[in-house]
Amino acid sequence: MPLSPIFFKKTKFEVEKVSNASTESDSVTRSDHSIFVRGIRKTYPNGVVANQDVTFSILRGEVHALLGENGAGKTTLVKILSGCLTPDSGEILVNGRSVRIEDPIKAVKLGIGMVHQHFTLIPTFTVAENIALSLSLSGRLNLDAVKGKIKEVSKNLTLEIDPDARIEQLPVGLRQRVEILRLLCQDVDILILDEPTSVLTPLEVEELFKTIRRLKSKGRSVIIITHKVKEALAISDRITIMRGGRVVKTLPTISTNEAELAALVVEGFASSLRVDRGKPGEPVLMVKNLSVKGKRGEMAVKGVDLVLHAGEILGIAGVAGNGQKELVEALTGLRRIESGTSLLKTCDLTNRPPKFIIRKGVSYIPEDRIRRGVVLSMSVSENLALKNFEEQPFSKNMVINRESIDRYASDLISKFGIRASDPCATVSSLSGGNIGKLVVARELSNGANIVVAEQPTAGLDVKASEAVHQKLMELRSKGVAALLISADLDEIIKLSDRIVVMYGGKFVGEFTHDSLDIQKLARLMLGSA
Amino acid sequence: MMEWALILGFIAAGIRTASPLLLASLGETVVQRGGILNLGIEGAMLMGAFSGFMGAYLTGNLWVGLLTSIIAGVLTVLIFGFLVIRINLDQVVSGLAINLLAMGLCLYFFRIAFSQGAFPYLGDLIGPYAIPGLSQIPVLGEVLFNQTVFVYIGLIAVPLIYFLIFKTSFGLRLRSIGEDPVVASYLGINVSRIRYLSLIIEGALVGMAGGLLTISMFNVFDSRIVAARGFVAVSIVILGRWNPWGALGGSLLFGFTEALSLWIGTFLVGPAAPSVSLLLRMLPYVVTILALLVGGRKVRGPAALGSPFSKE
Repeated sequence: MPLSPIFFKKTKFEVEKVSNASTESDSVTRSDHSIFVRGIRKTYPNGVVANQDVTFSILRGEVHALLGENGAGKTTLVKILSGCLTPDSGEILVNGRSVRIEDPIKAVKLGIGMVHQHFTLIPTFTVAENIALSLSLSGRLNLDAVKGKIKEVSKNLTLEIDPDARIEQLPVGLRQRVEILRLLCQDVDILILDEPTSVLTPLEVEELFKTIRRLKSKGRSVIIITHKVKEALAISDRITIMRGGRVVKTLPTISTNEAELAALVVEGFASSLRVDRGKPGEPVLMVKNLSVKGKRGEMAVKGVDLVLHAGEILGIAGVAGNGQKELVEALTGLRRIESGTSLLKTCDLTNRPPKFIIRKGVSYIPEDRIRRGVVLSMSVSENLALKNFEEQPFSKNMVINRESIDRYASDLISKFGIRASDPCATVSSLSGGNIGKLVVARELSNGANIVVAEQPTAGLDVKASEAVHQKLMELRSKGVAALLISADLDEIIKLSDRIVVMYGGKFVGEFTHDSLDIQKLARLMLGSA
Repeated sequence: MMEWALILGFIAAGIRTASPLLLASLGETVVQRGGILNLGIEGAMLMGAFSGFMGAYLTGNLWVGLLTSIIAGVLTVLIFGFLVIRINLDQVVSGLAINLLAMGLCLYFFRIAFSQGAFPYLGDLIGPYAIPGLSQIPVLGEVLFNQTVFVYIGLIAVPLIYFLIFKTSFGLRLRSIGEDPVVASYLGINVSRIRYLSLIIEGALVGMAGGLLTISMFNVFDSRIVAARGFVAVSIVILGRWNPWGALGGSLLFGFTEALSLWIGTFLVGPAAPSVSLLLRMLPYVVTILALLVGGRKVRGPAALGSPFSKE
């Protein structure tokens, strides 16, 4: 769209007006804006209005947090800024000039770059190769020049990285650093980080925040997306709260607090969750000296002992990749047990097939819900009955009773608030959060004795998470035992009666809820007790 | 002294037999690095063989045959490319369809060109060309520098393709597409363009590999002339771990076993000799399976090999 001079003038004028109105606290002139967006609207093909009349600005050298629940429209907004999506209407000004951002390349040219939640790195490539890939080079590949550039940029910001390291061998925190370095090598000065902390350990979050502060000190702007109020308070200069696709408010971080922000993020929602403690009864699951090999043949679980009691939630804390996944897979029959035993009361589960273990009443909420929790091409009701469709009343004489399955499904859909158009809709039409709810609904409703819950609330918003917590505690009071594996330490501490810490394939520490020492727990998680 | 000459002759024959496999597997290495599994290579070789034969037969010039075989290879592979890149069809199914199409086309045009019962043949073949000077080196000269032009092209292509894949920006992009085309396209890489380019390279090499069968190895055309060499080339790519030097090693292994099976056959006597020697002809294929069993396990190819990619 060619811009007529009149149109441009008018826009300028309006920008002035709006920016005066929107920044009540700090008096800024328009030239301080790195980006200014006004009246952005985005409707997805399926009719969901993800952004409505969004006005937002980011200043030079500012860290700006975008705070909101899942589905609040944060990611849509930054995807528009980084050229991954085009808005239906609205205007974007970069350094005072109205621009159209058709694709990520254009965004980078304008100095805007984004680190996605799912990294855009080639795992088998080295750091230098990955960065070379986005520098639009031609002819002979001069990796030494790329390495020089990386060294220069990383030295400037004290972000150490080995340019020859293979991405797949780097921990997540460093992969993220590579993404940031890549943008810096492309001279990006506005960095957008989409939920950057969701994949990081507490220590890595610290490192990331240091990085962000360094970027700021060098005059870069950072937009950080988060749904955690504490994080927004810890790192940002200003916070914009989004809800239901709209901007609720922009506040300077200095003049707000946790309670105010929490209230703005989820309006009209007061936590009704009353956390109580369980009354552990008889031991139900007894694991002795369990050893399990990992994907690459290494010993991932090294002689673990574990006793789980009826009516107890046992939390397994630990940095991802310390054997939790392999332990869970061994207990659910998905991975071979090399040595040791797993007993459910008197029944030996060691190396029995998953179906046998399911029949014995072990429920499993897998972390990877899409690949392990559902069959995408089947309907919601079929997925909900997937583990007991062979039983009455779902089938009789090997003939499936659709009616009873659909009735059962409708019941769970309303109970767990799964947003599906109807029980016969295919699961692939559901959002990630709703697929999570579906899996949780199935696994917590089939009368299990033991629930193995792997990151049960990952990707769920506050309300849905509370519903899951509520249900877990409800089951606990009925004598169900739960094994809770979560990267979210707050969740583990909140729910668990007992917490064991897993590090390097072993349990390195145990706490009861009353004897909990969080500092010590954090140290144990990092293997430095 | 006599035995020495025999052995040298055998080695030279092994290298010569390996040359079509080398050219084809180098081409397939390039496209597979970009994430495309082209099983239509068998058909492309057949088209190359047929066109090479026709070009040479009709003009009486073997070099025209070489050119037509290259053109036919490129065109056939581009049809495959159109199916899998533009229309986004399944790569395996498209490849097999190309093989059937090539078989049908060759039989049809061969029948149109020549009356039934005719037995057209080329009067001459592209034979060995001794490189002046180098061919005088004892042993090495006999084995390496007294070969056909196709052996020379293949041997030169190995380092060239290696350089292309690992030392150029094009190669870096190509490999990134083979690992994750979605990420690559996000980084602004034109996935389709690079895949088409890689297919053109493959087409030329594979077409040539087919052409050399008719204009340098056998002087006749038969619809079974390729004899699964295309499929063997695909397994050589895996065996060679998607590396041109590996493809060279793999091709030589099969070239030598094929030469060996023929060579042993000549020593057989007695009434069972014909059937035993036919049985021996299976040797290269048995070796293919054995080699894949030994060397093809736990290898990791391009992560996105064979998976379709569409922009939206």
